[in-house]
Amino acid sequence: MAFEIPRVKYTGRIKDVTIGIGPAAVKIGGESCYPFYLFEGEMPNIPKVAFEVWDCEPEDWQEWAIEPFIDVIKNPVAWARKCIDVYGAKLIALQLKSADPNGMNKDTEEVVEVVKDVSNNINVPLIVWGTSNDEKDIELLRRVAEVCEGKNIALGPVSEKNYKQIGAMAIGYNHVVMASSPIDVNLAKQLNILLGNLGVPDERIIIDPTTGGLGYGIEYTYSVMERDRMAALTQEDVKLQYPVICNIANEVWKARETRLTKDEDPKLGDERKRSVLMEAIASMTLLIAGADVLIMRHPDSIALIDEMIATLTT
Amino acid sequence: MVESDMRRHKITFLPMDRVCFTDGDENLLEVAMKYGVHINSSCGGNASCGKCRVKIVEGAVYSKDNTNISEDEYKAGMRLACKTSARSDIVVEIPLESQIDRTALRRKRYVPQILSVADIGSLVKGVEVEPVVSKIYIELPEPSMQDNISDADRLLREIRRRYRIDDISVDFKIIKGLAKALRDAGWRITVTIAFTKTGYKIIDIEPGNKEDKNYSIVIDIGTTTICGQLLDLADCSLPGQDDSPENRLDTCTIAETSDYNAQISYGDDVISRIMYSQKKGGLKRLGEAVKGTISKVIKELLEIGKVDMNHVSHVVFTGNTIMTHLFLGIDPKYIMLSPYTPVFSIIPSLYVEQVGIDVNEHAYVYIYPCVSSYVGGDIVAGVMGSGISKSGKTVLYVDVGTNGEMALGNSDWLMCASCSAGPAFEGGGIKFGMRAGKGAIEQVKINPLTFEPMVLTIGRLKPIGICGSGLIDIIAEFMIAGLIDRNGKFSRDLKTERLREGDGDYEYVLCYAKDTQINRDIVVTEADIDNLIRTKAAVFAGCITLVESAGLTLDDVEMLIIAGGFGHYIDIEKAQTIGLLPELPAERFVFVGNGSLLGARLMSMSKSCFLEAERIAKMMTNIELSDNNRFMEEYVAAMFLPHTNEKAFPGVIARLNEKGRG
Repeated sequence: MAFEIPRVKYTGRIKDVTIGIGPAAVKIGGESCYPFYLFEGEMPNIPKVAFEVWDCEPEDWQEWAIEPFIDVIKNPVAWARKCIDVYGAKLIALQLKSADPNGMNKDTEEVVEVVKDVSNNINVPLIVWGTSNDEKDIELLRRVAEVCEGKNIALGPVSEKNYKQIGAMAIGYNHVVMASSPIDVNLAKQLNILLGNLGVPDERIIIDPTTGGLGYGIEYTYSVMERDRMAALTQEDVKLQYPVICNIANEVWKARETRLTKDEDPKLGDERKRSVLMEAIASMTLLIAGADVLIMRHPDSIALIDEMIATLTT
Repeated sequence: MVESDMRRHKITFLPMDRVCFTDGDENLLEVAMKYGVHINSSCGGNASCGKCRVKIVEGAVYSKDNTNISEDEYKAGMRLACKTSARSDIVVEIPLESQIDRTALRRKRYVPQILSVADIGSLVKGVEVEPVVSKIYIELPEPSMQDNISDADRLLREIRRRYRIDDISVDFKIIKGLAKALRDAGWRITVTIAFTKTGYKIIDIEPGNKEDKNYSIVIDIGTTTICGQLLDLADCSLPGQDDSPENRLDTCTIAETSDYNAQISYGDDVISRIMYSQKKGGLKRLGEAVKGTISKVIKELLEIGKVDMNHVSHVVFTGNTIMTHLFLGIDPKYIMLSPYTPVFSIIPSLYVEQVGIDVNEHAYVYIYPCVSSYVGGDIVAGVMGSGISKSGKTVLYVDVGTNGEMALGNSDWLMCASCSAGPAFEGGGIKFGMRAGKGAIEQVKINPLTFEPMVLTIGRLKPIGICGSGLIDIIAEFMIAGLIDRNGKFSRDLKTERLREGDGDYEYVLCYAKDTQINRDIVVTEADIDNLIRTKAAVFAGCITLVESAGLTLDDVEMLIIAGGFGHYIDIEKAQTIGLLPELPAERFVFVGNGSLLGARLMSMSKSCFLEAERIAKMMTNIELSDNNRFMEEYVAAMFLPHTNEKAFPGVIARLNEKGRG
């Protein structure tokens, strides 16, 4: 008798979620196997990278992170356009940094204007990432939902504390929500149940498992994502059968190891290459754990990841 | 009460056309609560709120006068449900203002599975009644020149001759006064004999026949509550010996009372108590505090039972390991530090004077053996009291206390675990929480349309606070009515005056001040709900971790025994709704109330149990939960209503979905 390779028995499937409208709309999820286990099942929608754009000029970015966007860094619309036109972005993730109450704390309406501008001037789907401050995000994302009506954007992060208000707006204005929970399978599931009870349709929920940076706890995220997928695909846990998004750029680029130059610590080697590789390795790790969308910063690391995805899926 | 009045009467409630039957002399409100029929009421069944108005359409009733009903209304058949009982089969109309919603009429007819504490009869069948300390009356032949053996030998000779007991000795303590005691009594005496591991011992001598004056006291030293019972050993029997209703638990209990452990002022849980014991003078103060409460409880027991302190010959204590250490004045420091070692597990029998409590000095003291740092004598007592160690079935025993403790097994094997659950079910950490005493709200229904409550209190007095069983009802009813989400947060957009913003927290008003004894609104806050969820999550997570550690699933549990001081009843369906108990068939559940006291009673009543307790303590395998990843994971999963794993609660989820609020 011929040897038969043991196969994982899958009983579940990740739901399809579409962000954006028209021909540029991006579909994610749909997997019926573990990440890249194409010999056992399907990944009809290959994982995507969203280019990160800030709503204000970043104050503390490394010179080598700014470099690719040096000409557009003060203008979120131009920045987003450059990502699309020059680097081929299929998804834009707008980070509403200026609204953070612990930072610039800009007025909601001022921030909303930027969102409106960006969303009106790009033809790819938009992800809008709030401040992660539960209170501020309620008013901020509520307005964002309104001004982006009809664009089917992804809205988040939505937490256990503000899911009702933001979830209700997402239902009202037909957007997708990113359900954010602190690195725990059960908490992720609880929030999905709450959103479901509120009336958010299944095809409008993405899980944000909360991402730790490379060397700063990414292994926790990894194992939680891995378990999310095991529960979703092999244990019929329907409340975990959603695509996963990881907001990784932030985490990687704030680490000390992406900031120190070669002069400051010769052992660490060239800072540009090092930072790009750190972002790429972190992203690769998350892809293997089950990420469907990665929010990334540097065009070079994004190119590496695109290459990896292409290699693993063809 | 006339015989015919006690008959079971049929009560038909209109407009839902619900047929119910009375038990004994229940009033209409109690019958309605039993069958899940909603009638508004907020004073606990005390006739003061006047909300439970019903109209008697047919049949004869007995009703006490009440000023809340005018004469015209009375003539029209209006009555207060809480003050009216049936004298024949009757038809009762619930008027609109106190009625249930229409949608609920279409719901599946719900008969609550309420277990009361009386259901334990069959658990401990076959235990012989033979008190550990007994009294016998003897008339001794006076000494003469032909028979001049020592007084002590004379006594022992007579006992050996009459009772065929060989291994018996006279305790040194009474030798000194023996000569005088025998002669003063004219050689007609009652001896108190204690059964010990090293044989029988005569521990007291009284003049005349005092055989019928033999009492024992059993005390459960809880972290939050101290409960005690006074037992009549001269006239005792065990439940389940035969099936006659007289031969139940209560035959020999003369008095029962409880009080909050005075140690509470030094910390709510066992860890904070240990911390306090490490302070200068802390150990001594904690010992005094708990002994103070115990003395109070004992005094009360003797007063209620009208028993003379000198007739108490046996005192049994149970408590968790830390409580036992602190009670005996033993430093519990290393219980708190890894690898968590207690100083002792088995304590030999002691005299009262050695532990320093206020009873007859000759009384024999027995302290239940402990298993590990966090599995104490209370659970050993519970296991014994509920008969697990002799059971052919696989039993899960759960003691819902400040320390949640569980035991699993049968006559062949026993495993146990414990976790910190918090005092919520005993009223701790709950704004209007209280022990299950008079005036405690014990049963609640909430109308899912109007959000008006139906409240019954213990003793049917105006409410003072809420006890554990009331809390279970409240949270379950909140869920069914859609007042809270699955994470225990109020649905703030609901239109009801009862839901309001209190001191920085949302709250539901269960009883307005005028209907209470405390002249303040009795509310349930979001913080209360959080506390209760934490407590129930710890208990459930502990159970499932223990069961899975044994390689079993909850389905394999053939009987689930619930113990705890949360009330006189537990509504199984509601306890499942909040996810405190697993969704097993109702017939597998048994509620024993204070299980630890149950074991303590057996210990006092039966010599065989005295030996069995140590066997149980040695036989139990402890599963440590404090550093157990699986437990932590299960805990987070259980911090949801009913549970994150919906598949484990299909019935509850279906009920919630029925209301459109899954």
